[in-house]
Amino acid sequence: MKLHRISTAVIAVATTLALAACGGGGQNSSSGGGGFTAEPAEGGTVHVLQNADFSYLDPARGWDGGVNNFFRLVYRQLTTSAPGSAEDPNEIVPDLAESLGEASDDGLTWTYTLKDGLKFDNGDPITSAEVKFGISRAWDPGIGIGSPYLKQVIDAPKGYEGPYKSGDLPTIETPDEKTIVFHLKEPFPEFDAVLAQVNATPFPVDSGAGDEFIHEIIASGPYKLAEYVPGSTIKLTRNENWDPATDEVRAAKPDGWEFTIGLDPATIDERLISGQGADVNAIAGNIQPATLPRLQTPQLQERVLEFPGICTTYMGLNTTKKHMDDVRVRQAISYAIDRTTIVNASGGTQLGDPSTTILPPSVAGHKDFDLYPSEDGTGDVEAAKKLLDEAGLSDGFTMTLDIRAQESMQAQAEAVQQALERVGITVELNLIDTATYYETIGTPSQQHDAAITGWCPDWASSAATFIPPLFDGRNIYEKGNANLAQINDPAINERIDEIKAMTDIEAANEQWGDLDEQILEQAPIVPLMVAKGVMLPGENVTGLYSSANAATGGIDYVGVGLKDPEKG
Amino acid sequence: MPRFLLTRISSGLVVLLLVCLFTYLVFFALSPDPAVQICGKNCTPELIDQIRANLGLDQPFWTQFFLFVVGIFAGRTYGDGASTVDCAAPCLGYSFQSSQAVWDMIVQRLPVSATVAVGAAVLWLLAGLVGGLLSAVKEGTFLDRFTTGLTLTSMSIPNYVLALVLQYVLVVQLQWLPFPQAVAFADDPVQWFLNFVMPWIVLAVGYAAAYTRLTRANVLDVLRENYVRTAYAKGLPQSLIWRRHALRPALTPVVTIFGMDFAGLLGGALITETVFGINGVGKMAADSIARNDQPVIMGVTLLAGFLVVVGNIVVDVVYTAIDPRVRVNA
Repeated sequence: MKLHRISTAVIAVATTLALAACGGGGQNSSSGGGGFTAEPAEGGTVHVLQNADFSYLDPARGWDGGVNNFFRLVYRQLTTSAPGSAEDPNEIVPDLAESLGEASDDGLTWTYTLKDGLKFDNGDPITSAEVKFGISRAWDPGIGIGSPYLKQVIDAPKGYEGPYKSGDLPTIETPDEKTIVFHLKEPFPEFDAVLAQVNATPFPVDSGAGDEFIHEIIASGPYKLAEYVPGSTIKLTRNENWDPATDEVRAAKPDGWEFTIGLDPATIDERLISGQGADVNAIAGNIQPATLPRLQTPQLQERVLEFPGICTTYMGLNTTKKHMDDVRVRQAISYAIDRTTIVNASGGTQLGDPSTTILPPSVAGHKDFDLYPSEDGTGDVEAAKKLLDEAGLSDGFTMTLDIRAQESMQAQAEAVQQALERVGITVELNLIDTATYYETIGTPSQQHDAAITGWCPDWASSAATFIPPLFDGRNIYEKGNANLAQINDPAINERIDEIKAMTDIEAANEQWGDLDEQILEQAPIVPLMVAKGVMLPGENVTGLYSSANAATGGIDYVGVGLKDPEKG
Repeated sequence: MPRFLLTRISSGLVVLLLVCLFTYLVFFALSPDPAVQICGKNCTPELIDQIRANLGLDQPFWTQFFLFVVGIFAGRTYGDGASTVDCAAPCLGYSFQSSQAVWDMIVQRLPVSATVAVGAAVLWLLAGLVGGLLSAVKEGTFLDRFTTGLTLTSMSIPNYVLALVLQYVLVVQLQWLPFPQAVAFADDPVQWFLNFVMPWIVLAVGYAAAYTRLTRANVLDVLRENYVRTAYAKGLPQSLIWRRHALRPALTPVVTIFGMDFAGLLGGALITETVFGINGVGKMAADSIARNDQPVIMGVTLLAGFLVVVGNIVVDVVYTAIDPRVRVNA
């Protein structure tokens, strides 16, 4: 999966923890007593241990939780998300641009002005032409396979295929070296968030054709590529042409970064626990659930870092199937589900919180409600049975649940199975190979009655990348479908259009929360839980804050540094 | 001899072509649409079509297969317009998931897998031959029974268990070895060598056990042959009987097996490389399976097939050198 929806690479990492890479979330304080929020010192090298290789070094191609965070060290865009340490880390702030965009009255034209002193790592200046060129790469059919938002929002001539094939993109104007003007297809009040997507990175005009950026980085951020061995190591050193005065987001305290790739997840945990040598300067993604019990010693507890999650694990109910087309049946299932067991099956409360809403608490627009309440979250069997009686299904029925052939998801599915058995619903599990899971459930003709999956937002400053893709009935596709419920309700579609058009983002967020509730009244999905991030950083690392936008809830790299640069 | 080689090579090529065809068929028939996978989260049907066209997946099966085979010998060019990618011969295709030429990916990792294979082979040959011979000579003694028991244990331990236990004991507890670090040989030869110690041991343990048993059984068989008894009867010194009459015939089956094992290992030790995070061909294959990256899996399968075929031919040649009985009349 391209985005934060649990990248395929991440599936390899998260052999036991579903949604592992999606853990963590938007709160700007880290828990755990290790003092991970102390100001880092200048210098040293931060080590990152990881299992999966980055998808791509080219930001027009790569777009997933892991690589977006890495991109933030080497690439800049007109706008970006605030550092994880900011008061509101979900906020979109200016980066290469002096300020956020100025929209015309009709909302169709957006103008940005570049800061002074912006340079690539080779010393060439970054002007509006380079910004425009970098953005236009998104239209190349072979290269622009990353974030889709630029293409969806910015107007382009029909059949435009990027700068290498179709040349200049006339809908982005560069009246002078500092000014850049975008023309949109239709008003998009959150356009600043679109330009914060990684594929809006500037590149020197005419660079990056074919596979040029597969092994190369032309850096605009504080670090440049020193060494890259695919599947093994990436080393970053300081980009001397990056001027800190132009960058309020990136503290960039360490002199370098070293990513070690391809490590077995159990080995990563082992290394972090023993903290030998340079591993005191190491950070990594979430630890394995199997490692959790070993962290109970006081010394290790001090180093445990917990971040709230930003991704919702849910069970989609296919509303086109028999029984599932009856709202009473879907509501009955919503009542019967036992979230306490589900959280326990997923590794316990340290790794996840039960969720009764579509939007997780760390995403803007979240509204706290529970339409199908029960004592201790274990399910209301009576209410469920009553609804099934009304639907004429007192004797129950049999349904098929699609799940990924993976330990923790199977455990979750079994928890669903047991909960629904109490109301007479027999759940048959359909195990699907990890590598092909999303392709299968994203193909409506192959979908069964229900499926367990997860969703993470592409930006957490609103619900615009959470609710529309999952519930807009006009986007039900034969393949690559995200609306698993296949719900197509004119009332919901209309509300989505209305809220999307609102220019007051804060007011819009309140309405997204209301829409969340409106949707769940029809119970097209059953929210199950929000997986949390649990990490064990090295004892010499500090400046660890989570970022929903930049790191899918993980550690925002731009603030990370060492307490003592001489150590390790 | 040349004719013998020629027939072996041509039959080898046929085997490879069949491997190629079957692998291609399996993926064509069974795998889901790679375009959907690349398309990801916010996907539309138009985007899927675009990606399919770009990867050449919209062509009929035989066209795709034909282009693939031609590419191996003549190279290919992907894309069109000003943005093309050249894939020089031998072009084994282009990875869907990482946009790199499969051949380049293999070439980069093959030396790593070769290092793993060579080191492990040295260990297991030494251990296997010495253990097997000792066991045979001291047949029925405590040493023999101990060796037999040890081989049974070694063969029963799965690679991944041994790997993790070894790592826990040697690295975490005793700290005799550092955790494997990704270093180039030129930068830090000591760390580089230490990186490979555990993988070598893990791989060698399983093989050594099998080779010990094979050697023991063969030597015992040969020692019971009539000509050995005759040699004893003639009063030849024991060392000479051992060296000239017993060892050589006893070793021929070992050579056969070794050729195939070693060639297979060059194509990547999937489990060992994955557990120790060694960036070899085997780990690349394992990762590609998880990512459903068909061209890479194809490439590694073909490479492994090629190495086994070559290994077999080499074994046949070596065989004739060791054992005069199978020498072909030129």
